[in-house]
Order: sequence, then C-alpha cells, then structure tokens
Amino acid sequence: MQRFEFIGRFARNRGALIGAVLILVVALMALLAPLVFPVDPLRIVGQPELWPGEDPDFPLGTDSLGRDMLSMIMHGARATLLIGLFASAVATLIGVSVGAIAGYFGGWIDEIAMRAAELFQTIPNLIFVLTIVVILGSTLTNIVIAIGVVSWTPIARMTRAEFLSLRDREFVQACRAMGMGDLKIIAAEILPNALPPVIVLSSLVVAGAILFESAVSFLGLGDPNVASWGRLVGDGRQLIRSSWYICAIPGVAIMITVLCLNLIGDGLNDALNPKLRDR
Amino acid sequence: MAGELASPAAPPRIARGSSRRVAALRLLRRRLIQAVPLMLGVVVINFVLIQLAPGSFLELMTAENQVSDPATIALLRTTYGLDDPVWLQLVKYIWALMRFDFGFSYRQNIPVIDAISVHLPATLLLMISSITLALAVGVAAGVVASMKVRTFWDTLVSVAAMFFFAAPSFWLGIMLIVLFSVKLGWLPVGGMATIGGTSAGAGGVLDILHHLILPTLALGLFYAAIYARVMRSSMLEVAQLDFVRTARAKGLSRNQVTISHVLRNALLPVITILGVQMGTVLAGSVVIESVFSWPGVGSLLFDSVSSRNYPVVLGIMVLGSLVVIAANIAVDLIYMWLDPRIEIR
Repeated sequence: MQRFEFIGRFARNRGALIGAVLILVVALMALLAPLVFPVDPLRIVGQPELWPGEDPDFPLGTDSLGRDMLSMIMHGARATLLIGLFASAVATLIGVSVGAIAGYFGGWIDEIAMRAAELFQTIPNLIFVLTIVVILGSTLTNIVIAIGVVSWTPIARMTRAEFLSLRDREFVQACRAMGMGDLKIIAAEILPNALPPVIVLSSLVVAGAILFESAVSFLGLGDPNVASWGRLVGDGRQLIRSSWYICAIPGVAIMITVLCLNLIGDGLNDALNPKLRDR
Repeated sequence: MAGELASPAAPPRIARGSSRRVAALRLLRRRLIQAVPLMLGVVVINFVLIQLAPGSFLELMTAENQVSDPATIALLRTTYGLDDPVWLQLVKYIWALMRFDFGFSYRQNIPVIDAISVHLPATLLLMISSITLALAVGVAAGVVASMKVRTFWDTLVSVAAMFFFAAPSFWLGIMLIVLFSVKLGWLPVGGMATIGGTSAGAGGVLDILHHLILPTLALGLFYAAIYARVMRSSMLEVAQLDFVRTARAKGLSRNQVTISHVLRNALLPVITILGVQMGTVLAGSVVIESVFSWPGVGSLLFDSVSSRNYPVVLGIMVLGSLVVIAANIAVDLIYMWLDPRIEIR
C-alpha cells in the first residue's frame, strides 16, 4: 500500500514522468542498436557531411567521414548509459561502505572517513580522472573506476547522515541487546532503512558520471574502441564552420539523458519527502 | 547536497569589530592547520598514482619526451630516487614538494613550477569571471523566482536552470561559438588575445575581456543553474522564519524585508556550495580551455596528458588542490562575514 502511494506520488510529478519515459526510450535505443544497425557504426556508409534530412537513408545525416549519425547515436547510447551506470555503481559501493562505517562507528573512524571525503573533494575531480586515466591507460574499466573514485563523496556523506540518525534507534539497540554483530546490524538492519535517499542520490550520480565520461571522451582520452556521445562531439569539433550539426546532435542526446536523470532524481526525492514537495 | 546546507535560524547579530577580527584570525589559523594533512593526503595520492603506473615511471617519461642521454637518465634516477626504498622515495617527494620543487619539464625545458605558474593567471581569471557570472545570474534568478513563485517567471527560471544544469559545458561552448562567432561574427572563436593586436593598456584589457565572454558563459551558466535552484528554495525557506514575520510586523515593506533580511541569510547555502564546488570549477575550466584554446592550466594539462608529461600532470594536481584549499578558506571567511553567529565550525 505504501509502495503504491509512492509510485502514485512519483507519477503525479509530470517532469519525473516525462524523464522516466524518455530514459526508457534512450535505453530502448541502446538495446535495439545492434538489431537496427547490425554493422559497425564506425563504418563508412555514405557521402560525408550530409545534413539531417538531406538523404532519407540517413535521418540524422552523416559525419565528416560518411558514417551514419543515427547509427552512431544509437550505439553511443549503449556506451554512454553503461559507463554512467557502472561508474555510479562504483561510486555507490565506495560511498555506502565508507559512509556506513563512518556513521555507525563514529569517533576516530568517522573523523578519518570524513577527512578522506574532504580530500577527494579537494582534488579537482576532472583533473584527477584525467591523471588516473593517463597514468593507468585509457581503457573502459579505468575510466569507470576513475569516475567512481571521484564521485563517491556525496553518497558517503548522505549514508553517514542516515546512519547517524538510525544507529541509536530502538530496533538497532534491540539487535545489539540480542548480541548481533556490528557488520550484520550495518548490512541487514540499518542499511535497508538508509537506502532510499541514497538511491535517489545515485540516480543523480549517474547523470554526473555521464557528463564526466563525455568530457573525458571529448578531450580524446576515452577508450579508443568505444564511440560514446562525448567522443562524437569531439570528433565533430573541426567542422563547426560547415557542419555544426555533427557536434550538436550528440550533445543534445547527452543533454536530454542527463536532464531526464535529474528529473527522475527530483521526482524520487519529492516522492520520498512529500512534505518538501511544495518548495 | 541538501545535507550540507546550513539552515539559518535567526537574523545576524552585529558583533563588535575587534572581536570579529580576532575570530576571523582564529578561523584562518585553524583552517591553515587543517590544510596541512589535506595537502599531505593529496601528495600521497599522487605518489600512489606514480607507483601504480605500469612500467617504470622513468622509462615512460624518458621515452615520451625523447630523453636518451645516459647522463640525463642517471640524473633523473637520482632526482627521483628510484633506487631508494618506497618509503624513502615518499619522504623525499614530500620534502621536494615542500620546497615547491615539482621536478623538471623536459618538454618545455623549464622547471614544472614555472611551466604551471605561467598558465595559472589565465585559469584564475576564467574561474573568477565564471564564478562571478554564476553568482550574479544565479542569485538574481533565484530571488526573482522566489518572489514570484508559481508564475511565468518562476517557471522560466526553473526550466532554464534545468537545461543549463544538464548541458555539457564543452558542448555549450561549441554551440556558443557556432552562434556568436561563426554565424553572427560578434565574438572571437578562441584564444585570449587577438594575434598581432595591442596587448598593452586599455585596448589590451578590452581585448581580453572580449575573448573572455564566451568561455565565461560556457563555464558559468552550469553553476548559475545550481545557484538559482538553491537560492530559490533557500529564499522560500528563510522567508517562513519568525524573524522575517517580525520584520514585516515592524512595518517594513516586503521588498525591504527581502533585501535586508531574507537575502543575506538565504545566501549562506549558496556560499557553502560555492566552497564545495571550487575544485569542480577548476576542473571544468580544463575542458573549457580546451574548447576555446584559452592559454591556462587546462591547456597545459591537456598538452601534458597527451605527451605523458607526468611531472607536469602531477604538479597541476597538487597546485590545483592548493588553489581549492585557498579558495575554500576564502569562502569560509566570507561565510563568517555574512553570518556572525558562526565563529569556528
């Protein structure tokens, strides 16, 4: 019943609903890409620099080499979404672990954890990502880990705050009185109660991770085997005088995806805290 | 983000000038002491990254920078102490950094610290102008939206904020170039000054400002979007507090209350976020500099990353962190000036 109300509140938020629907469309694009365009999206298939609509075979036109923009955008959706999701998963894993331990144990452990969070907030994030990627190599795994490593701090702070407010509640004290171990209390008792706001934050971290990845790829430091949207913008940069649509289209795709993820995050937030809804 | 917002509960009280100066100095001292372990942490992370590099750090560096002279390589081995145990290397590294010795850049043939400091002013200029724009636009938009809740203006602000919050800054920069430089021809495509133009006097300053407009917009509008949203909700929150009702009851007009009571308190969360985001702004300027060929640290970083010039890359990371720490201390002092209730957190 409660869950039903939650979905109802989420659905009543028009922005969040639009966001959710559009994200599904993007995800569908990513899933269908290999079916609709089974050939390598980076293969040359037509005349170069065809504007969108100029040739019905290429609804979004072709790039400077004559590659199909629509195919590249659909395949790029896969890369972009997957990198965003995995990087956010890495950030959530680190953030929740650090935050849970810091909030539960408190004291010097908390102090160290929060200093570490401060440290990671001090190092300019993108510079950190670029340094990691350039030293360890531009592979997909390294990029995902690097983005995760710079994105965990807000999740850790949020998890810590939740744990701080939950750790002395009666049900936790009851578990302690029963002799339950600390790790079990953290994982099985407090964590499930602390998760909802953390999940909301994770959806925003996905959006941030997508922006990060696109910046890294735009600078030409992405995985050379992956054509993410950011790289498409970077590839089109040289041609802004004659064919600016090559830059514009993948950028719009990034913007819509990030916008939708933010809308979903806002919607979840409102649905979780109905009292804040009218702010 | 919401967890980090301070919620002001009472109007600022005016403290005596001298005691506030003492408090400010105490805050400054405490922040400087706290900065030491933070910097040490940055240096250790740097060191770990060097150790993680596949293959010998030296091999990679010499190969990429075409250093083949055996004497130079031997010198490098001793400089970086590659034959020492790891802990000693770390101690030496920290000692070197404390003397601002970041190593030598063979690409530019100057010490790393010189290579970076040549580029730093351009980046600081871009950062300051972007933050100024973001604060001015963001705060103004947030105030307008909060005073006209649920009207056309409120919707306009939130829709614009959502778009600029989602647009990748580099892409926004390119689109601005397409519109204002390529199509309209109003503003330069990139660089910091017109090649062959006057560089001295008022003409030179105007020329730089002319080049600064587009990069500032590309970098600043994202933060303006954040500040507008935070400012709006913070204004609405503060407006519900008791002291605002008291001020209204005293007979002050709505605008007077908004400007002299609500605005000042509502600014606090914006300042907090500004402090937290200082590193992001610096990092964001890396990408923007690459788009606009702005001759700052970002361009240097990009060059160094492409040529695997590690000493410069690591030096930028350390100095960048230092800039962030300094900026954070400045933000703390501003915060204290705005809210005298806070002495030392």
